[in-house]
Amino acid sequence: MKKVSLAAVLAAGTVALAACGSGSSGSGSDGDIMIGSVHPLTGALAGVGALMNDGAKLAVEDVNADGGIESLDGRKLTLGEGDSKGAADTGQSEAQRLISDGAVALVGTYQSDVTANVSAVAERSRVPLVIDVAVDDSILEQGYKNTFRIQPDATSMGADGADDLIALAEANGKPVKTVSYIHIEGAFGQSVFDAFKEQAESQGVQVLKEVTYPGTNFTDATTQVREAAAGNPDVIVATGYYPDQLLVAQAVKALDPDIDALYGVANGAFDDGSFPNDAGAAGENVLSANYHYGATNDEVADIRKRFEAEFGRPMETASVLSYQAVMVIAQALEEAGSDDPEDVRDAIAEIEVEDPLLAFDGPITFDETGQNENATVIVMQTKKGKVEQVFPDEFTTSEPVYPAK
Amino acid sequence: MTDTTTSPPETQPDDGKTRSGRPSLPLLPLGIVGAVVVALLLVYTVGGKDSGLVTQSIVTGLLLGGVYALVSVGLTLIFGVLGIVNFAQGAMLTLAMYLVYQMVDAGGIPVYVATLLAIPVMFLFGVLVQAALLNKLTMADNEEGPLLVTLGLSLLIVNVLLMIFGGRPKRVPSSVEGSFEVLDAIVSWERLIAFAGALLVAGALTLILRGTSFGLSIRAVSANTQGASLVGIDVRRIYAMTFGIGSACVAVAGGLMVPFLSLTPTVGEQFTILAFVIVVLGGLGSVKGAVVGGLVIGLVQTVGALYLPGTGSLILVFAVFVLVLFFRPQGIFGVKQ
Repeated sequence: MKKVSLAAVLAAGTVALAACGSGSSGSGSDGDIMIGSVHPLTGALAGVGALMNDGAKLAVEDVNADGGIESLDGRKLTLGEGDSKGAADTGQSEAQRLISDGAVALVGTYQSDVTANVSAVAERSRVPLVIDVAVDDSILEQGYKNTFRIQPDATSMGADGADDLIALAEANGKPVKTVSYIHIEGAFGQSVFDAFKEQAESQGVQVLKEVTYPGTNFTDATTQVREAAAGNPDVIVATGYYPDQLLVAQAVKALDPDIDALYGVANGAFDDGSFPNDAGAAGENVLSANYHYGATNDEVADIRKRFEAEFGRPMETASVLSYQAVMVIAQALEEAGSDDPEDVRDAIAEIEVEDPLLAFDGPITFDETGQNENATVIVMQTKKGKVEQVFPDEFTTSEPVYPAK
Repeated sequence: MTDTTTSPPETQPDDGKTRSGRPSLPLLPLGIVGAVVVALLLVYTVGGKDSGLVTQSIVTGLLLGGVYALVSVGLTLIFGVLGIVNFAQGAMLTLAMYLVYQMVDAGGIPVYVATLLAIPVMFLFGVLVQAALLNKLTMADNEEGPLLVTLGLSLLIVNVLLMIFGGRPKRVPSSVEGSFEVLDAIVSWERLIAFAGALLVAGALTLILRGTSFGLSIRAVSANTQGASLVGIDVRRIYAMTFGIGSACVAVAGGLMVPFLSLTPTVGEQFTILAFVIVVLGGLGSVKGAVVGGLVIGLVQTVGALYLPGTGSLILVFAVFVLVLFFRPQGIFGVKQ
């Protein structure tokens, strides 16, 4: 009897979850070409999910305002909005729904496990998926033909993050010899850490400690930071999401260990627009190696300005990537001169996007696995309450402070 | 949630002492303190960790435990008296946090003053929820109804907050930032205040339950609803007031925690499961049990993290939970049924 009641509760919970917040679907009619967007619009990641969805929305508006897809007689785009709720199975069913509604391509999804499921759907349905944000290497290791990723993968972020730290410290006359690393548990944190460690050690930098913390029920980072600081490293490196990494920065400030820098790699907090204000003194001079919108690019400045005017919130990097992903699909539609998903896929595979909106090494081009060949990270630093690009030179908006005390 | 939580409350809010009519020896509390001290001494002597690090984890664990206790006290009270497993406890915690956030952000009120103001608001909210949504079901001895209502309420709260405030993390500036050092361990003022607040709330609740006629009514309703109503106690009113007090507890918890957490519409949910663990561990309906359970879980989680990093410390929490329930199914301060 009690078991029955528990089952009833669970069933009711599922129904209630399914009932709240169903996304509006695009028309997919003959006139408009639908692009499906799958992001977490409710749940713990709803904040960034909404920003990304709005980024995709703005891109669609811009294409339409610019006359639509010329090679298809100026046909307009529409955005089919899907809510993954942050859950892999929901993301999968939303992707299926959007495809059956007529989406010719998908963008998404912010989370690696959701993206893994959605890319499987894309492969089965032969509809291209352009990943805006999802870092896990393994997504593109499946041999899929329909999945493409604009941002760098976990391994290259870890490795490039290590290279940048070593070069930045060297350039400022304070070379790094030892680091300790704090990262969130799971595929994301682990793969970034493994790549960083391999790259750093190949250049003679010792990784003294690896401290991990759980992704849930984590409300105090003091012990973890203290453990990381125990071996007197030159630098503490950190990988994780916003709330937990904010705690890490605050604990570093409180414990005040004798380090040259707190350095984020693929860090969800340290280069976020809200971080300087939220962290206060704890955020000052914190370094972060991450992919980032091109702050020195005028087109990006214009897009971000219009985004804030329309949606009332600053456009973060993840949102710029969603915008970029839609633009990649729009360009592919233009070049294919067809709205058949398989033609669009072939056009994306051959695409060359000059002047990417991100601070990358070159145009967006995809290798045979679907990874953007020129995706890279740059180093940012919180200075006087603002996130500045400080390394390498070609992207700098401000000079780095190093040692970053 | 297992059968333990869905069974009707047999315990009383002020635990074992009154049931048999004579105070029991404080063997149990002494035993727990002894076991914890021995365990910590072992960590110090043969744990192979830097002693400063161990001290830090103990301090952190105790402060965290205080926060856990604060969330659990309201939950245990509502369960002990009404027999309602309040799935909305985490969401109500979040609601209280946003209430405080709104007062600080829009009204410029200092965070701890806003917390005091949030107490009556959340109390009223709780009274209304019980009176309007739950009383009928509670009176009808319907077990599943209140569960579903509170589950629905939690979804409603979270999604309304998401609609109004969006999902981007928000911060509340504290009026007392900074930290101090004690025995080579860093203690943040904000967390210490939250800890003190937890003890204060638990103490005040105990005083109300033991020392006032209102408390006597609550205990009477908890012990025997029918008997209480026969001697003229308005059971509906007591139910509503109790749910109100349980909600006021999360107002205090929310206000004291908000300076050191990033505020999102789902921030409270991570405390729900642990609060249930703590409440069952401490003994259903026992305020003292919630406090002790909170501190024990906080310590296990942080000291355990020294040896089992990542999710390992949570596994340890659940291992301790299962172990305690194996030897003492009614929980530490629960009464045998």
